[in-house]
Amino acid sequence: MAAATPRLFQNGQIASAGAKELRAADVLVDENGEIVAVGVGLEVPSGAEVIDCRGCVLVPGMFDVNVHAREPGQEHKETLATCSAAALRGGVTGVVLMPDTAPPIDTGNLVKSAMDLVAELSAIPMWQAGCLTKGREGKEMAGFSGMASRGVPMLTDADRSVPCPDLLRRCMEYARDFDLLVTSHCDTPPLSKAGSINEGPVSYRFGLPGIPAISQEIAIDRDIRVAQHTGAKLHLQQISTARGLKSVQCAKEAGTPVTCEVSPHHLVLTEQDIRDYNTHFKFNPPLRPAADVEALIEGFIDGSIDVLASAHAPHTEFEKSSDFGSAPFGAAGLETAVPVMFDRFISKGIFGWDLLIERYSAAPRRLVGLNPVAIEEGTKAQFFVFDPEGETPVTRETMKTKSPVSPFLGKTLAGKVRGTALGVAWHSQE
Amino acid sequence: MSELKPRKDLLDIEGLELPEIEYVLSNAVPFKQLFQRSVKKVPTLRGKTVLNLFYEPSTRTSSSFEVAANRMSADVTNFTVSSSSVVKGESLLDTIETLQAMRSDYIVIRHQAAGVPNIVASHTGASVINAGDGYHAHPTQALLDAMTFREVYPDYQGRKMVIVGDVLHSRVARSTSTLFNKLGIEVGVLGPGTLIPPGRHDFIRRFRSWDEVFEWKPDAVYLLRVQLERQEGMFFPSIAEYHKMYGMNTERLVRMRQIGAYLMHPGPVNRGVEITDEAMRYERSLISTQVENGIAVRMAVLHWLKPETDTD
Repeated sequence: MAAATPRLFQNGQIASAGAKELRAADVLVDENGEIVAVGVGLEVPSGAEVIDCRGCVLVPGMFDVNVHAREPGQEHKETLATCSAAALRGGVTGVVLMPDTAPPIDTGNLVKSAMDLVAELSAIPMWQAGCLTKGREGKEMAGFSGMASRGVPMLTDADRSVPCPDLLRRCMEYARDFDLLVTSHCDTPPLSKAGSINEGPVSYRFGLPGIPAISQEIAIDRDIRVAQHTGAKLHLQQISTARGLKSVQCAKEAGTPVTCEVSPHHLVLTEQDIRDYNTHFKFNPPLRPAADVEALIEGFIDGSIDVLASAHAPHTEFEKSSDFGSAPFGAAGLETAVPVMFDRFISKGIFGWDLLIERYSAAPRRLVGLNPVAIEEGTKAQFFVFDPEGETPVTRETMKTKSPVSPFLGKTLAGKVRGTALGVAWHSQE
Repeated sequence: MSELKPRKDLLDIEGLELPEIEYVLSNAVPFKQLFQRSVKKVPTLRGKTVLNLFYEPSTRTSSSFEVAANRMSADVTNFTVSSSSVVKGESLLDTIETLQAMRSDYIVIRHQAAGVPNIVASHTGASVINAGDGYHAHPTQALLDAMTFREVYPDYQGRKMVIVGDVLHSRVARSTSTLFNKLGIEVGVLGPGTLIPPGRHDFIRRFRSWDEVFEWKPDAVYLLRVQLERQEGMFFPSIAEYHKMYGMNTERLVRMRQIGAYLMHPGPVNRGVEITDEAMRYERSLISTQVENGIAVRMAVLHWLKPETDTD
């Protein structure tokens, strides 16, 4: 890998955000990691490595705006190295790191330290998000200007809502001057309390305290209204209910600069999929009823939902082996996002690669002020080779994350990322 | 009825099939007759060990299982874990390893977290009997309730019972209503809107007042224990108001007599809260019968389950 050679990706089909149809072409990446030629029947340059892509799709690298890499501070769950390996297995070539590490990233200096770690340890580009409030405690504003000068892509208290509406308002007013995106995890703690599963017949059957839909919906409504009042740019994480989505749609119709994301598990799983108190299905926001999932799929297709994000939140198998109520929320998601979306939607013709690329590659990059990537001459190689006839087994042995905890564990998903090209590197998954 | 597939654990009522329920309930009858004899023991489980593992204090249920196991001639170990010492330190998996080392044939477990008996059951060959987990299930309570109801109503099918109180947080209400429904006994609930589960429970009829209940003419009224420590003014304004609205008092006792309804309660009762002293002396109270039947049903459950612990 060090002594780079040109690479020719031969006989593949190129996907892009703008085109419904795939385009047959070879792609030549030179020894500097740049795409120098895209076309049919390209000649093989001398010394070039040829990667046979017959039957495969070449897809622009995905970008995930909701990732918990756990380093620094919780390296027993995940590290920047294992996180980036998982990303590459899933065709993800860039991520935004949530600031809920230990310590939480709430100053410019901490952002710098975090980015130094990324430069040293990660195989993919990563952007460190900063906290909205000091220590994510929801009491005082964090050091916005220092973090802004270090290039944070967004401010968020990651998995925590700012409890006080007045503080949220001041944060939004202050962030506006730095043109910083405010990202909200929407939750109303007095309503979600000890809950661990969607409140309704399923929580009743399991005898578990529930998290009501209004816990997220009220926070969505509140944060939208505060954003409208302050003029801040707002991004809402992990929309999970039809009613919550409706609020976002209304705000968009009113011209509010608000965006929202959904996670793959909220698009393909319902609360009914939770069996035998399996804590790998414990998420916050929780898995919801089928009617909500249907509304989210519709919103994902029609564009009311802007972005797909994995909410990659690994916890060790041991941590997840406790009882459902006590186990932590979240699971690994980076390496399953693309195969899950292919398996459930693209392979069934529900939508095409163009839509997935828009929601998981182009829109998330635009959200944080980056240019979308495409497989075009004159750009840095940043794409993956996907075999629609392949299979992705989700097992403890195959997963690259440090904590193989996933609701898809034990399943074999249709399609497979054969490898990811990132600059001069070719990260083969075979 | 002879062709029951062997079952290792009793975790909840939902998973039970009617012939299994019938098997346990009919076997409990001869076990109960045994209590009239001077020698109340049978040798069925001689040489077997029963571990009573209680993470929540419950003298009643734990004693009931202990007596049942003793009368089956099993060796019983009681292991009560005060919840404070469990909060930190030993994890559930560590506990399960410890249990494995004890080589018990039956593990009776009560835990404050829903689903813990399921986890234990999937890690051990011992038969796990759920003695109450969080808000989830209390299957032996449901079975003893059914036995008690069927004793007074041999023609139990099509009869009606109303459950009164904190249905939302009650594992007893969950398990008992599910079992009664399976047996063809109609169940209704009465309680404040804050303590009735939200959403769709087709087989459960909801009442808003005692007047509505008495109009329905239930064959039994099942009072739930008010969990005083849980309330904190979030679910109803005061104990006095609860007693006034939902308690069994003198006036309601008159109407109970008019319709000939029996009174049930899983114990222990809060006198003056869900029930008055006078109501405790109601001639159609089945509360002590429930306790007695609890032992018989638990013997029948121990007799029925098949541990996978035999190595020779």
